[in-house]
Amino acid sequence: MNLKKWWSFLLALTFSVLLLAACNGGDDETGTDPEEPADDNGEEPADDENGDDDGDDDTAGEASEGGNVNIAFFSPPEHQFNPIYYTSTYDANVMDFIFEALFRTDDELLLQPHLAESYELNDDQTEMTITLNEGITWHDGEAFTADDVVFTYEMISHPEYTGVRGTYADKLVGYEDFRAGESEEFEGVVAEDDQTVIFRWEESSVTPEFNASFPIIPEHIFGAVEPGEIESHESSIATGEVVGTGPFMLGDFVEGDQYVLNANEDYWNGAPNLDTVTLQVRDQAVITGLLESGDVDMVIQPDGIVPSDVASVEQMDNVTLYQPQDLGYQYMGFKIGYRPSEDVEAGVIDTDNFIENEKLSDVRVRQAIVHALDREAMVGGEDGEGGLLQGSGQVLHAPFPEASWAFDENADIGLEYDTDRAMELLAEAGYEDTNGDGFVEDPNGEEYVLTLAYPTGNEPRENAAIVIEQQLAEVGINVNVDTPREFPAHSEIVENDDQSIDMYLMGWGLASGDPDPGGIFTSHVPYNYTRWVDETSDEMIQRGLSAPDAFEQEYREEVYSEWAEYVSEQVPYAFLWSMINNWAATDRVGGITEDPVTMLKDPHLWYVQE
Amino acid sequence: MAKYILRRLLIFIPMLFIVTIVVFTLATLAPGDPLTGQQLDPTIDPAALEERREALGLNDPPPVQYINWLSEVATGNLGDSLYFSGRTVQDLIWSRLPNTVYLAVFSLFITLVIGLPLGIYAARKQYTAADYFVTTFGFFGLAVPNFFFALLAVYFFSFQLGWFPAQGTQSSASISGLAEFLDRLHHLILPGLTLGLASVAIYMRYIRSEMLDVLSSDFVRTARAKGMTKGTVVYKHTLRNATIPIITLLGFEFGTLVSGAVVTEAVFNFPGIGQLFLTGIQNRDFPLIMGINLLIGVTILVGNLLADIMYAVVDPRIRYD
Repeated sequence: MNLKKWWSFLLALTFSVLLLAACNGGDDETGTDPEEPADDNGEEPADDENGDDDGDDDTAGEASEGGNVNIAFFSPPEHQFNPIYYTSTYDANVMDFIFEALFRTDDELLLQPHLAESYELNDDQTEMTITLNEGITWHDGEAFTADDVVFTYEMISHPEYTGVRGTYADKLVGYEDFRAGESEEFEGVVAEDDQTVIFRWEESSVTPEFNASFPIIPEHIFGAVEPGEIESHESSIATGEVVGTGPFMLGDFVEGDQYVLNANEDYWNGAPNLDTVTLQVRDQAVITGLLESGDVDMVIQPDGIVPSDVASVEQMDNVTLYQPQDLGYQYMGFKIGYRPSEDVEAGVIDTDNFIENEKLSDVRVRQAIVHALDREAMVGGEDGEGGLLQGSGQVLHAPFPEASWAFDENADIGLEYDTDRAMELLAEAGYEDTNGDGFVEDPNGEEYVLTLAYPTGNEPRENAAIVIEQQLAEVGINVNVDTPREFPAHSEIVENDDQSIDMYLMGWGLASGDPDPGGIFTSHVPYNYTRWVDETSDEMIQRGLSAPDAFEQEYREEVYSEWAEYVSEQVPYAFLWSMINNWAATDRVGGITEDPVTMLKDPHLWYVQE
Repeated sequence: MAKYILRRLLIFIPMLFIVTIVVFTLATLAPGDPLTGQQLDPTIDPAALEERREALGLNDPPPVQYINWLSEVATGNLGDSLYFSGRTVQDLIWSRLPNTVYLAVFSLFITLVIGLPLGIYAARKQYTAADYFVTTFGFFGLAVPNFFFALLAVYFFSFQLGWFPAQGTQSSASISGLAEFLDRLHHLILPGLTLGLASVAIYMRYIRSEMLDVLSSDFVRTARAKGMTKGTVVYKHTLRNATIPIITLLGFEFGTLVSGAVVTEAVFNFPGIGQLFLTGIQNRDFPLIMGINLLIGVTILVGNLLADIMYAVVDPRIRYD
């Protein structure tokens, strides 16, 4: 081949590439919604409040039937679309369109009947009789009945169930026997007739609606499958059909790229306005560009706009930001005690065996550390200036963010940023700089160094480690910041009580369920990673759930307010911040229901306005 | 020749075996397991996680886990993924492999189509302004970080000019046939260019120095002396001899072809093996890590074998007995 041929070949290639670009480039302007039908589509007239029958023209702001909405995710789902086995929040998002539960939270985070029509509780709240809504069908046309509810709870209690959702069922009557395979009948959930189901608990349930709010899976599909095979059944992993009762059904997908959800025209709450919703996996780095160009219509949970992009999104005329507070929070845990390595090995948690960490067992030292932290500065100003979070968060003093009903707005709790007070407390506890190196020594005059471990993966949290080191150095506490670990590795050293660490950074992502802090703060529970043993706190937590007083929410609010004050003084954690979500939607999408925990409530009401 | 290939293939088996042991040891030495990340949700009972660990065999001692894995592989099965619950490793690999292959082949095509002619050109015009220009251009491509180039490309060609889509592998899940092929090709161009331009300099430099080497050798001078045109000498005699190192390079490229391009895949959200591998490592999904490693191992070995065979084709003096 001679040089001329080479060049002409190259030239030809360049031209064909450009040609291809030009052909498709034209498509792109209209091609963002390939499923969008022509305006004069033959859909039946809308039968809901948002329908607009003369939606045939393109007048700005007019709602129209049909169309597609693109929602961006930053990571692909794992393709486990069965509520009893899923673990990833991305899968949960897909399933939010498809599956429904008997109860769901309202905009004050209280559970209200959803698939259930009404319910009755007996006096000691050990039995709940639920009447189901009539006329609900599964995506394949089968009727939804009480048997499906019973089946779902049986599956998460089944001897062969290997998922992790058993907490919804494990207080029901007969759970132990059923789980052990000793009984064929599960007395805890019984179908009275097609529309009536009864839940029975061993002891009074303080949160009966929550316990009955697990998403329901279809018996007519999974009843024929061996319980041990459900996890890999085609109706779970989306190579076949995923069947739910929700407003949308899973349609075509390109794995790891996009998932098309088709409208369920027979949805019991009214047919969706949209024809499709497309969930697209997109890189976070280009998301603002995609929003501006209209390629993406919504950026929602679990991601949202990253704090550093919020300012530029606010500038966009076509985008609305939704900024509810997240229920999760970030904290710095103090390793007050460690499990001995024999107990770690044996998987035992015995509070009597905990080894005290003398560096942090004095509460004054922990308080001093909290006083030394300028958490306001970490969060950043209201105007979105500065800080690790650029204003997208709130300082926290107890594990109840403002959005939770357990948050007491009148309580004046928490330890403010006050370096003088911090140094005073340290001096009181006997920590003073005796050798003049700028750092305090412990009461025995020994060098005092606290080791801080933190994981990679959450940028503000990663940066917080360095800020904490600097701020504590200002009051004379020497912090040795460990090299960051990947989350699984970090989690393991925290959970397995690695005695080389004194403090660790971590977060809790709290569901909207119930604010009971018992699962994390009770002395003997595994998630009490700080190994904080405190009878007063345990007693208060217990009181928050004790029947019959705790049937009244006001009573619980009081108990939790008291406990919040106590925990903010005892400081097992230095609570850092709770995030503010930055969810965005372009003005093309109408009918979005505002809700403190989700953007995915009632997507059948969404519509497209051009 | 057939005997040689057979012998090489037989050597593969113990080599792959050693590779799996090393990778397995490294994978199990890393702290944490696929379930540790789930502890962010306090509604999950730790006892249930422990039961699941037991069910998945994560509590078995590593040698037992390895033997279990190996006996799976012996049946032609790569095992069940631990992180992607309910799915098998081969299912996951198959779902991502086509994207990776498209991207690799297309970017390699771009690399060769730009790199080789430029290298030859630079060799012919050694120490001229053109030579320096081409070299600078090549090193620029090598020096600019991939993700930066990718973001620039997205910004200009997608957001500003609107020529190419910024993200994904196709614009709709419901198209098929020729339309799907063209649509996929259209989505391939930006990531392919990003990946391809980065290694242009490597091939260019190789072919340039090799050409210069051969051009100064005796037989070239003889050929010129006996009156052959410069073009014939350059393209018939020199180029053929200069391609040997390129073939070696291509043999290695065959392996990276499958291991994918993590950064490029991420920026363009082009779900391929690279991203899958990263997810596997981050979540300690060792059957997935092992499965992909096995795949990479096989392709590298096959790639090198193909390179060896190609030597003999390009240079008949090379013989294998």
